[in-house]
Amino acid sequence: MTLEMQEICKSFGVVRVLKNVDFSVRGGEICALIGENGAGKSTLMNLLGGVLQPDSGRMLLDGNPVSFRNPAESLSAGIAFIHQELNLINDLTIYENMFIGRELKKKNGLLDADAMRRQTQEIFDKMDFHLNPMTMVRDLDASYKQIVEIFRALMMNASIIIMDEPTVSLTDSEVERVFDMMRTLGQHGVGIVFISHKLKEVMTICDRFTVLRDGVMVKDGLISETSTDDLAHHMVGHELHIETVRRDYEKEREILRVENLSDETAFRGVSFAVHAGEVLGVTGLLGDGRSELFQTIFGVRGNYEGQIYVEGEPVHISSAMQSRRLGIGYVPRNRKENGILKDMSILENGSIVTLPEYQRRGLIDRVRQNLDFDRQIEQLHIKLGKKSDLITSLSGGNQQKVVLAKWLNANPKILVLDNPTQGVDVGAKEEIYNIILKLAGAGVAIVVLSSEVQEIIRLCDRALVMYHGQVLGEVSGDTMNEHDIMRLATGGTSAEIGGENE
Amino acid sequence: MKETAAIKREGFLSWFRRMWTTYPLFSTAIALLVMVVLQTLALGFEFDSFGAWFSTWLRNWINILRNNASVGIIALGMTFVIVSGGIDLSVGSSLVAVGAIVMMLIDSGPRGFLYSMGISGPAVYVLAVLVGVLAGWLFGELNGVLVTSGKIPPFIVTLGTMKIFRSVTQQYMQGGSPSVPSGFLEIANVSIGGQMLMPIVYWLLISAVLHIVSQRTAFGRHVVAVGSNERAAKLSGIPVNRVKRRVYALMGMLVALSAVLQVSRIGSMDYANAGSGYEMDAIAAAIVGGTNMAGGRGSILGTVLGMLIISVMNNLLNLMGVPPFLREACKGIIVIGAVLLQKKESTS
Repeated sequence: MTLEMQEICKSFGVVRVLKNVDFSVRGGEICALIGENGAGKSTLMNLLGGVLQPDSGRMLLDGNPVSFRNPAESLSAGIAFIHQELNLINDLTIYENMFIGRELKKKNGLLDADAMRRQTQEIFDKMDFHLNPMTMVRDLDASYKQIVEIFRALMMNASIIIMDEPTVSLTDSEVERVFDMMRTLGQHGVGIVFISHKLKEVMTICDRFTVLRDGVMVKDGLISETSTDDLAHHMVGHELHIETVRRDYEKEREILRVENLSDETAFRGVSFAVHAGEVLGVTGLLGDGRSELFQTIFGVRGNYEGQIYVEGEPVHISSAMQSRRLGIGYVPRNRKENGILKDMSILENGSIVTLPEYQRRGLIDRVRQNLDFDRQIEQLHIKLGKKSDLITSLSGGNQQKVVLAKWLNANPKILVLDNPTQGVDVGAKEEIYNIILKLAGAGVAIVVLSSEVQEIIRLCDRALVMYHGQVLGEVSGDTMNEHDIMRLATGGTSAEIGGENE
Repeated sequence: MKETAAIKREGFLSWFRRMWTTYPLFSTAIALLVMVVLQTLALGFEFDSFGAWFSTWLRNWINILRNNASVGIIALGMTFVIVSGGIDLSVGSSLVAVGAIVMMLIDSGPRGFLYSMGISGPAVYVLAVLVGVLAGWLFGELNGVLVTSGKIPPFIVTLGTMKIFRSVTQQYMQGGSPSVPSGFLEIANVSIGGQMLMPIVYWLLISAVLHIVSQRTAFGRHVVAVGSNERAAKLSGIPVNRVKRRVYALMGMLVALSAVLQVSRIGSMDYANAGSGYEMDAIAAAIVGGTNMAGGRGSILGTVLGMLIISVMNNLLNLMGVPPFLREACKGIIVIGAVLLQKKESTS
């Protein structure tokens, strides 16, 4: 089966997400769809999966025009979409998951478990895969879960399978297992769309590639005729001139030093130091472990090995209270889940960290609470109605400023900002950048965690690039460009910068 | 005055709608008002004999409040627990346990613990109350530790301790009830102006204190933060587990005060039945008062209103001659109706 998408356009409001995109995949081939965050990959695949509908353009299945109004229609046409967050039910067995929603029944209305088990076993045998259909999904590791999802797609007679970053949470040997399965599928004539950030994996497993950038298909071709270097170049495009804020910064005293920090799962052997007045960037792609690293340093994630020094003193951080006392502030990512207290007012959200300090004779001194917060409103230009309104009445950018304000009230020596401009508009983004630079100017050590490379280049004095829990390299000055950052983030080493063609 | 001007300007209906949607407690207060009007009518209001009517009305009200003071105090603690995102089912049983401890201490008979040590008079009562509160605090702390360190859901922890507290108490108190000295009875029964108002005074006093604790202390706000978004609270450096432990400990201490009040008011305790169903009544009061079972929202003021609504309704049903078996059904309707009426959380 051959699927073609021609001149596809899609807009959200005034934002044109896809502009005349062509894309195709044939049965038996594995086609990589690559691009930076926000390039339009998921939108394109959501059109294919029937989640969204295109504004214009054609979709052809074996030459016949098709349109999908919902995921069910797309599925019945033989296209299956395996999302990044797996849709398996942990508390059911493999065969129950394979048939969920379309269970086989006996004449008397009861479930026909034997038939479901048998059919599952048949498809396992056909693909030469050894796993007991009676196993609970909970007991499978991530790669087997991924494979069970693939089998479920096959069970529904899918001839084209879209896999959205299937290897993000897998270890190297697990990745190999999924790849083996993908090759077997190819031999059986199934077409696969492989969405990934990891260029090395793309080079290993795929036959063809299509690169999207800012909603435009910029390049497609055969994997055998390209290199990771080329791919990274196409993803980023021309060296975008990004206005950098190169400040006259001289290393002052060290505020935080981390030596050989590891935890069991997310990161290992991490060492770095941050100085007063410095803006240190930490970047990488999904699954790089940067958030976990700094949550551990902030004391909310549990045990670690290695040593942390705050202002030269060795410390063992075991709680957020303790790290706060040491002068560490942490503005988490995913503001809605981790940042705001939706049932509380703007004022309370903005002063929750320092609340105990405002107490006099056991009661909160509201005058001081208001004074401190008023100062933040002024400094951060927070736009609000009444301070007693719920935090949810504010725009994303202003909510983020309030979250920032609660830590600024605590006068941290080091402030960790995890995706500080997530979900805020362009104007507020600039404002937040200015706030960060002003803080650094005032001698606060700043760590910015971000997946947006432009943000890192725009904002930071130097940056660490992480890949799979390890710091693969440090960039600063001339080496702090999208090209080199992307190469490190996709698993290349710093020694390879400027060389290596695979 | 400002409000009346506002009413004139925008018209009563739109004012009413605005108040209803802006202030969650507005609907609760209206419900209470309706109940009170119905109750007043049921008492046979006649303008001619206003004086006689008023004294009946007043006596009726004092009765209502006094009878509900014990549960009322527990409902205040329950509000904290639910706002923090938890639940405490063990209150009725720990009430019995604390009651038993207090009664053993004040027993003026030969088995009396303090009496046999040669302590007598008011010192006994003070000691008994202090030990009782300490015991309540320990019971609550036990719940809290199991919830936080044991990582067991609060429903299960307190379901377990509910069984434990009552059954152990019943086993140890088989030898019959101790006798309560008359001096102890005065805690609840000393009369003010010919009326026994003390339970009401305690209830209102504790309500006022807890209202301030909830609104004006870091602890009070931390409780809301933990219930609203535990993760965000933790990432703001709030000691989430300590806050939770304190919430259960506070609950325990309030149960202890309620137990002292009960022992003093009645002079005895039925270890098998006393306090049973209190947990549900307390939860109902909090819910009717606008507390969100999912945590994060609720207020002491709301719970006091909620408790009043439920007790006035009981009284009303009584006055109207509704059969006792049906009264619980009405309570159920009120609880469900209250939540239906409350401003729904927007999905954003």
